[in-house]
Amino acid sequence: MGRWCRQWKREQGGSFSLQQGWELARLWYGDRMSPKWRPFNAQEAQEVFAKVGLTGEFWSLK
Amino acid sequence: MAAAAEEAEFDNSLRLYTYRQVVATGKAPTVAQAAAEMGGSEAAVRAAYARLGESHAFMLTEKGELWRVAPFSAIPTPFPVESGGRTYYANCIWDALGVPAMLGQDATIPASCACCNLEMTLRVKAGSLLPHEGVIHVAVPARRWYEDVVFT
Repeated sequence: MGRWCRQWKREQGGSFSLQQGWELARLWYGDRMSPKWRPFNAQEAQEVFAKVGLTGEFWSLK
Repeated sequence: MAAAAEEAEFDNSLRLYTYRQVVATGKAPTVAQAAAEMGGSEAAVRAAYARLGESHAFMLTEKGELWRVAPFSAIPTPFPVESGGRTYYANCIWDALGVPAMLGQDATIPASCACCNLEMTLRVKAGSLLPHEGVIHVAVPARRWYEDVVFT
């Protein structure tokens, strides 16, 4: 991560494990083929982040 | 009111048609194909894609064709996903994991480390991501993700 940030001259952002990524993907995309799917509103999206442990300023949508 | 309901129904039908096309062929339909299949004009399809794009799930190129059908990318990316005998492309590693999550099927994701190109092939099997070392780094704070989706 540090090397990538130096290469691209970016500050380190947020990070999470691959397992958290999988859980996030399941919550985010698991029902995408459903005829009843609708996009999350900001509060719902924030709740999804929180469910997989993505909390704090970096993950805030406000 | 009735017009709004009809529009919402058309948008949803178009959304499902588009996903089914991508899943079945690995490619997003052109606007012309979608219009022919849906029985609408190209302008109506483009307007519907624009409405569907308000959630950033669908996004159009400057020429008005789909490039993003989240989690899929309509153009090849460094995030291929092999599943069900097809190769799909995703927009990022989150979306690459989103493909098997959405399809509910096993997948192989021949990813690589962004900083050193080290091979990082991820596998999803029977609804689980098989253990693999690595982290997902997001450079842009969540509130700014959609200012420049391609960079994010």
